Amino acid sequence: MDCGNGARARQHVFLLPEYLKDASKKMKSGLIFVKLVNPCSGEGTIYLFNMCQQQLFEIKVFKEKHHSWFINQSVQSGGLLHFATPMDPLFLLLHYLRKTGKEGKFQPLNQVVVDDMFPNCILLLKLPDLEKLLRHVTEEKEIDKKKYYKYSKEKTIKWLEKKVHQTVSALKTNNINVSARVQANAFFSGDQVSSDKEEDYIRYAHGLISDYIPKELSDDLAKYLKLPETSASLPNPPSKKNSKMTAAQKALAKVDKSGMKSIDSFFATKNKKKIGEI
Amino acid sequence: MESSDEVAVEKCRVHLRPGTLRDAACATLHLLPCEVQVNGPAPVERFFTPAIRQGPDGLEVSFRGRRLRGEEVVLPPGLVGYVTVMEEKGEVPVGKDFSEGSSNEDEREELELAEPPEALERDFDQFIGAAASFSRFTLWGLETIPGPDAKVRGALTWPSLAAAIHAQVPED
Repeated sequence: MDCGNGARARQHVFLLPEYLKDASKKMKSGLIFVKLVNPCSGEGTIYLFNMCQQQLFEIKVFKEKHHSWFINQSVQSGGLLHFATPMDPLFLLLHYLRKTGKEGKFQPLNQVVVDDMFPNCILLLKLPDLEKLLRHVTEEKEIDKKKYYKYSKEKTIKWLEKKVHQTVSALKTNNINVSARVQANAFFSGDQVSSDKEEDYIRYAHGLISDYIPKELSDDLAKYLKLPETSASLPNPPSKKNSKMTAAQKALAKVDKSGMKSIDSFFATKNKKKIGEI
Repeated sequence: MESSDEVAVEKCRVHLRPGTLRDAACATLHLLPCEVQVNGPAPVERFFTPAIRQGPDGLEVSFRGRRLRGEEVVLPPGLVGYVTVMEEKGEVPVGKDFSEGSSNEDEREELELAEPPEALERDFDQFIGAAASFSRFTLWGLETIPGPDAKVRGALTWPSLAAAIHAQVPED
């Protein structure tokens, strides 16, 4: 395959789940990239729909400074690596449910998921088992065999708590270091993970989930999980500068912010702009 | 989607041709530790590939006179790599309508049932296809092999974590 033929055409390097390849035997079409609202930032973000198997995928971009690809007999600047991973559509539905939930009324779903900016949001309504999903975050009523939904904050927080615990288990099985307090013997014994505390895991998982929900909900979840308040905006100050810090800065420096890492920490830089360029 | 028309971008759907995922030929990829500012053909096979040597602990090559050290990175299980290219407007891809699906009546029926009533493809939509696939690539560092804490390696663990974040939770 001579990719050089593509001349100027921009090439994208993607990692997709293997089953999409197998599923493609049954599809003539139905894999669609669309821009939808990002449930955390409210900005436009590219998602991938598999309309045949009715799945939603999130697209994340790995981007690090000073990288490029050689792809067969061609060069591609940027060195971007795009990941498509399955996404729980409830995070996106939640964005719309919370918006209409302020009116406090029961509404049919097709009046909830409405968006002038991102009209492709109607594709969300085609996903299967929506009724079952919505039970996690809404109260529902059935009138004349038609379902009406109302956002429930209490149920949502409980659902998010389950998500956090589910993520904690994955962090443990993947041996992801969630603690900032790296001790010298971690470099030798290699069993750093065992010294991580449960609270560190919960805070880290909370940080990961917070990338899919608005700040307000993230704060409510933190309170519910009884996580101590932290100042996420400050980077970890280098420890050698401790002597020059004010008392307040010292107090802040003691706060372990390691768990506040967002998903973007896996991807080096903010990817929102780049995603729009697909 | 590098369109100047922002409004169209919001409404636009970019269709990935499923057939191209099956047929994509295997590609050789190298991730370089430097930014080459252009996109286009390059005689990789003439200058880069023949210079790759197996050193005592990894691969060695030089690019623009600088020594690079690298190693093969295998994609995590369950993932396939693809190189995708946007189709030019008006380009008719091979096998779009007739060469696939039509031979098998059952499959056709299944397809039609799966298709929702309103059209997923519209006139102003764009199409991309997989031009090549890969299951491994060569990761290069300047002077040293990128260590276990290289950011790209961290990124490769993301799909397994994402699976846990997005898995359905049990109902009460």
